[in-house]
Formats: sequence, structure tokens, C-alpha cells
Amino acid sequence: MRTFQFFLVLAVLLVTGLTIPATPASATLPADPTCMAPDNDPDPPVYYAIDLVTTRKVPGARLATGTGNVTFAHSPFGVALTPEGEYAYSLAISMEKVRLKEGQVLDAWVTTPSLDQVVHIGRLNASLATSGNVAWNKFLVVISLEDADSEPGARWTGPIVARGMSRSGLMHTMAGHGPFQTEPCSVYGYR
Amino acid sequence: MIIRPPIIALILFLVPSIVWAQDHDTHAGHNMDMPAMVGDSLVWRMPPMDMSMPMLPGMESSVPVTRAFLPAAGMDPMQFPEARPFEVMNVADGETIHLEAGLVRRTLGNQTLVMMGYNGQYPGPVLRVQKDARVNVHFVNNITMPTTVHWHGLRLDDYRFDGIPGISQAPVETGESFLYELNFPDAGLYWYHPHMREDVQQDLGLYGNMLVDPLTDDYYAPVNREVTFVLDDLLLDANGIIPYGESAPTHALMGRFGNVMLVNGVTNYSLDVSEGEVVRFYMTNVANSRTFNVVFGGAPIKIVASDVSKYEREQTSGSVVIAPAERYIVDVLFEEAGVIEVTNSVQAIDHFRGIFYPYVKSLATVNVSESPVGESHAEAFQTLRTNDDVIDDIDRFRPFFDKAPDHELELTVRVNDLPLSIMRMMEIDTLYVPPMEWNDAMPMMNWLSTGEQVEWILRDVNTGLESMDIDWTFQKDDVVKIRLFNTPKSFHPMNHPFHIHGQRFLVTNIDGVENPNLVWKDTAIIPVGSTVDLLVDMSNPGKWMAHCHIAEHLHAGMMLGFEVTEAP
Repeated sequence: MRTFQFFLVLAVLLVTGLTIPATPASATLPADPTCMAPDNDPDPPVYYAIDLVTTRKVPGARLATGTGNVTFAHSPFGVALTPEGEYAYSLAISMEKVRLKEGQVLDAWVTTPSLDQVVHIGRLNASLATSGNVAWNKFLVVISLEDADSEPGARWTGPIVARGMSRSGLMHTMAGHGPFQTEPCSVYGYR
Repeated sequence: MIIRPPIIALILFLVPSIVWAQDHDTHAGHNMDMPAMVGDSLVWRMPPMDMSMPMLPGMESSVPVTRAFLPAAGMDPMQFPEARPFEVMNVADGETIHLEAGLVRRTLGNQTLVMMGYNGQYPGPVLRVQKDARVNVHFVNNITMPTTVHWHGLRLDDYRFDGIPGISQAPVETGESFLYELNFPDAGLYWYHPHMREDVQQDLGLYGNMLVDPLTDDYYAPVNREVTFVLDDLLLDANGIIPYGESAPTHALMGRFGNVMLVNGVTNYSLDVSEGEVVRFYMTNVANSRTFNVVFGGAPIKIVASDVSKYEREQTSGSVVIAPAERYIVDVLFEEAGVIEVTNSVQAIDHFRGIFYPYVKSLATVNVSESPVGESHAEAFQTLRTNDDVIDDIDRFRPFFDKAPDHELELTVRVNDLPLSIMRMMEIDTLYVPPMEWNDAMPMMNWLSTGEQVEWILRDVNTGLESMDIDWTFQKDDVVKIRLFNTPKSFHPMNHPFHIHGQRFLVTNIDGVENPNLVWKDTAIIPVGSTVDLLVDMSNPGKWMAHCHIAEHLHAGMMLGFEVTEAP
């Protein structure tokens, strides 16, 4: 079942997040005004914004909140698409209510729901913001606490501070539910 | 028996292919016994759909509330002339040409169909003219329905030749004629099509290109060959064309997606080129609803121009995303000999399983021979030109980029009297709606929704007026910012290709992100959830309209009228 897989993924993330402890330090900084759009410009789509939810396991980040704003990557066609047909997005990450200790930084990552591919989006700046690109239709966003002295590797090594899922993660199988009660999930590959 | 890993991999690879290959089958799997029919029939029959998708209970016997309609139902296809491939008509300044809409016989695969054509051709003839030319078109209607011709993208001097029934002209009844007086102020690629029941007439083949040549030889980079590339789809089953709605279109929720892909009116379009050849494709999407993502088998693509101009700067791309009514002029370099399959490559949604899956359909074949091209334009292809003429033209509009919107539109939908099962299913299934619908993921529900039950709406945010109740007035040379928001909170959100008649516009901003490479457009995609700013150059006085170019959405009300008056 997809639901089971989702919670399994979250469980893996939470366990991973418990492996490296962190301690609180500096206060949250205000947003960088240079990153804010002029008043006349429209905003990124609220509908596709990704809520970044704290794991509540990392000291200094138990009340953390954040947002991943999703817009289309630049394309001559308005809608950006890869040759495989996946959406190409720009992902702007911002976090709040995180207190970092000296030598600690936050890294933003995206990963597929099955965690088989991971891409580093960027290291959050002093305003706790970063941005990058993602070309998957369905993905998880992971914010991890890392050592400022080490370069980001292939995937996160520190504890997970917050995570979220693209809006498309709300899609679910109809098998076995409601009007499709008579359609057994197992027939469609779900356990 | 031991099954080795490669064999398991092969089985895993083949099983999904078998499942997805069934989407043109009949409906034995859905317990629908179809009557035996030969040729076009006016009996409603369920549209083709993915046989692995279970039927929503209670839908097996449902049919649209409108009667089935086909323009040539009951007629012998052999009484109509067989359509022939399109010709290029080089039309001189001041010339008058003849254009006739008629019923034609087409053979697609092993099916003989009655369709429509301009001058008996598929697509209609390419009208090739010089920029700034003036041409008269003596149009005759010989189809069985009233019609008009809209000259899509042309900034006509006189709105009375724009082809809008009730605004610019009366419908041309069967057997009647109309003289269109056209002018061609902008170089590029345009197209003509009916503006009455496009869901039927355009779908059945009434479309053709206009290619407006620039005045200078170096307007575009040199290429070895130029081809028009008209993308379309058609909804067929084993018994022919799935009927249309008589009093109103079917497929009003998502538009009518076809299951058979057409390029230049055929299912097997192919092109023979030499190794190293640079081909310029003049691409037009004439489909009712489908947005294509065209991939040239990995061959490099250079994006040169779109609807009404070149881009400020040429750029490369891995594919071409083209919505209904849009045009793109792209150069493709075929570097290596071989057979290249041109595909529509998208990720479709299986709403039942809640997943994306690759949906790749072959569009055409390019056979690249081993004999090298005579004159190589590869170096020119690799050079990305900056078009100072376009930049200079746009410069006088840049001071307006940051102005507040003059008008704001919300794009939404209202439904009534849809079957209860559809209403409930849609509410459950819209936890997530994608920015774009790339295929008909709910064929039965979509087919059952008609223009009598679905009303697509353009709502003026400031006045609350909707669609044709909106009555905007501008003065010639006004620069107007229109902000469109495609709300994701409606009953069934969907992308809309928004078209403005008689004027040109720039897409200056999408979701707060400035567009770094501008091009003059007449049609632009408005994805679900997005806010798009259009800066419109109100250059042409007259009475015009703007609308969604999904044919079924247009007929379900998604249009507005506006007037541009002469400056005092």
C-alpha cells in the first residue's frame, strides 16, 4: 500500500535524523529583503508550496517551520519539461525558527519517494534560505543539519531537521477504497 | 525451473508494455457489449480507454446528455473525393485566392473516414506570403454546417475579417461564400481554422498554415530544409470516429484528447534527410486539447521563434512543449545517420493508482542517410543568435513591465447536473491536481461531461463579471497588463492555452519569476495554480475576443470580448 510506503519512508527519515545529535546556538535571522519580489509581481503558487515540517528531534529546531516554493524552471515554453516529460522546477527553500550552533549549517536535499536518488539543492544561507532545481514529478524535501566544515556529499549525513513532500504526494491509489471497494489492492501491486 | 534475472527483467519490462498497449481496445473488459457497427455510426459508444483501469460503478450504461453527431453520418464515404496532401500556395501581394471547406474521404490505417478539408487537402494548403503583403481569400463553405475562417495570430487591419461569428461577421452558411481581406504585418508562422464548432470542424481536418516570409535573407540562420509540422490527434475506435455532441461538445471537462497521433494529417509521417542536415520545423499544434512535448530522438534542438516573433535570444532545448494553437519555429541538427523516432514524451497520471507513468507516443520518423549534406550549416546551428531587432522592438514596452495589472482574470469552472458518481469521484480525486493535463486520464468522466453541464469561466476579479459579460475597452497603442490566475480550487482545475485575437503580447512574469527571454505571442499556457502576466500591445482597433483555445472549453463559455478604439 502506498500509505504504508509513505510512512515507511518517513520512519527511515526519522531514524536517520536521530543518529547525530545537535545543540542549539544562534537566533533565526530575518528574511533577506533582496530575495523578495516587488509588490507588483505575483507570488509563487500557494497550491504547490511544500510545507517543511520539523522532525522535532533536533535540539534548536523542534519548533522549526519552513516552506519550499515551487515555480517552473526557466523555459522558452512557460512550462518547463524534461525530454522524459517530468516537470523541471525551481525550488526555493526557506526555514524559520531554527537555532544553529557555531559550525553547524543546514543543507537542503530532494529525493525520490523511494529514496533511491538524492540531489543536493543547496546550503542554506544566513537567512536560512537556498534554492535549486528539481526535475521529478514527485519528491521529498529533506533539510539536514550538517558540519559547516564539510562539503555536501552524495546524500545527507547529519540528522534531519525538517522534511516535506511535493503536492503530488497526495495522490493515492483508489484500489480497495470507496467506489472501488471491490478492487483488491493486491491486484494492482499493492500489499 | 530457474528463471534467470535477465528473464525476470524482461518480463517486468514487457508486462507494463502489454498493459499500456491496450488503450485502443474495445470494452469487453468493462462488460460493455458494443453493437456491431461498420463505418461512422450515430450510436453513442464508450470512448477508448486504458483497459487496465476499472470502470467507476454505475457508469457502464451512461452516455452524454446530448445526442451523438457526425457531419456525414449515414453517407457513403465513397461519394466524397479522397483528400490529398497539402500544397504550398505562393501568394503574391494583391492576389485573390480561392479556399473551400468541404467533406473529404480519408484513409487512416485500415479505416475509411469522412472528414473535412480546405481545398480537399490535409492539412489545408500552406499560404506562403511575403511580410506586409495584402491578400484576398474568396472562401466557400461546402461542409454541412455553418462555419467561418479565423486567421490565427494575424494582426489584421480590419476586425471584420477575423472570422468571429456574431462579432466580426455572420456565419457562412452551407453553400455561401465570404471574401476575407487579409494583411500580414509580422513574419513567422500562423494558421487558419474555423471559429464555429471547432471541436468538430477543426478536429475533422479544417486547419492550415500561413507562412509569412521576412523581408531580409538573414532574418533567420541558414538551414538546409524547411518543413511544416502540424501536430494533431484524433479519437477513433474500431468503428471509426467517436461521435461528437450535437447540441454541445462532449469532453467539456478536459477537452477531447485523441488516441491517434497525426503529423501533417497522417499517422506515419516521415522525412528523409542527409547526415549533418539542419532542418527548420515550423510547428503548429492544432489539437483540440492536447499539449505535446515533442522530442526529436535526442537530436539537438534550437528554439528560434514562436507565435508572432523570434525570441530575443535563441536557445537550446531537449524538447518542444507546444499547447493548442501555439507555434514554434525550431531548428534541429541531425548529426548521425540512422532512424530517429520523433515522439510525444510526457508523464501521464493514472488516477486510479495515484501514479505518474511514462506516456510516449510516436509522432513521426526521420530517416538520416549516411550521405553527408552538401552544404553544412552546423556552425550556424551551434551559434545562438541575439536578435537585436526583437530586443529593440520590445524596449519601448519595458517601462510597463512593472506596472500594476490593468485587469485581473480568474480562470475557473462551474458544473451542474453531472452524474452524482462523477461529482463524488472528482471531489475525492482532486486532492492533487497537476499543473498540466498531458492526456485524458479519465476518459469516461470526461466524455460524459458536455457543454450543457460544464461552464468554463473567465472572471474579472475587479468587477465580478464573467466571460462574455466582460466588456473591456482600450485605445489603440494602449499597453495593457492582464494578470491571469488559474485557480486550483475549482471543481476541475485544468491548464488553459489563452489566446488573444488581433493583438500581440509578451509573457512578462510567471508566478513571480520574470521571463528572461521574451517573444511576442498570441497564445500562452496558463498552468493550474499559476499566475501569469501578459503585457498586451493593443495595436489594432476593432472588436476582438480572447479565449481558451481548448475547443471544448471555448464552447463551454471560456471567452470574453473587448474593443480597441482609435486613439483620439
